[in-house]
Amino acid sequence: MSKLTVEEAVAELDRVFAEEVEAAIRYLHLGSAVRGLDRLLVERVLKDGFQETIQHAEIIAQKIRSLGHVPKLEIHVSCPAEPMSAREALRQALLFEEAALECYQDLLRKVEGDVPLEEFVRSQIAIESEHVAQIKELLAG
Amino acid sequence: MEIWKEFDQNVITHSAAHHLMAIDDLMRRYGYARVSDVARLLNITRGSVSISLKPMKDAGLVIQDENRHLRLSERGQALVDAIKTKRTLFQRLFHDLLGVDTEQAEIDACKLEHLVSDETARRLVSFLRFVDSDAQQTRSLLKAWRRFDPSCEHEPDKCPSCDTTCMAEHLSDAAATQPAATRSKR
Repeated sequence: MSKLTVEEAVAELDRVFAEEVEAAIRYLHLGSAVRGLDRLLVERVLKDGFQETIQHAEIIAQKIRSLGHVPKLEIHVSCPAEPMSAREALRQALLFEEAALECYQDLLRKVEGDVPLEEFVRSQIAIESEHVAQIKELLAG
Repeated sequence: MEIWKEFDQNVITHSAAHHLMAIDDLMRRYGYARVSDVARLLNITRGSVSISLKPMKDAGLVIQDENRHLRLSERGQALVDAIKTKRTLFQRLFHDLLGVDTEQAEIDACKLEHLVSDETARRLVSFLRFVDSDAQQTRSLLKAWRRFDPSCEHEPDKCPSCDTTCMAEHLSDAAATQPAATRSKR
């Protein structure tokens, strides 16, 4: 059995929800912050990142609703009005993607035994891991 | 240089100060600090903590080891110690001497702690040492201060402190635009 009560599980999912929504906002900003020829290199990656994180946030919200609750969102985002290179934008994306991945990994340890939730978190970890690997690959080049 | 622009020259931002102090707090309490712990303590996302810590790591204020545990460098620790000292100094000045209520004194000290120069803080230490050096003298100073009638007629020409405009009047107007919860109860 999961060590978490429904309320505790929802609180944990709220945290992941905030990570995903904040990541989407950051992707949106990064997409505008990269200028010049560098835009050609990462515009698609950042737009896809935005779409995917928004989708993930929707999935989490749906999961919270299925547990009989309404998602709680509390975020504090500040993105400076400074231009950045494609590499810098990817480095930043890697930071918050890794943070989201760690959040899911922690959650997995906590929901052990609750099969539907465990499966859901596992699938999210697989998607996030792939995403992190893709950004790392782009940065390695 | 225009003074307001010096805010940009400050060693660390308000947010950075809180991240550093959170790491210091966690290290003291548990002996370790991770991004997730800092996020939970500051009630923000891990992504936000990771992004905020990046310039602090680049500046050599925070060190992250291979297990992703965080700690302050010698310079980071010195900054935290200075900020904490300044907070204590302001709390004492505002609460003990000026009579601002505890909560408001703490809020205002928090806003100033990372902005004030070491030079001004050193003068404040000297002033508090002066105050603490003679209990009787301090008692009579505080007694006189508490007896002083703070009401103001808003007549700058008759006021020993104001020049052409009434300082108290300006502050009353500003206070009226603040949310009630942020106003001093004094």
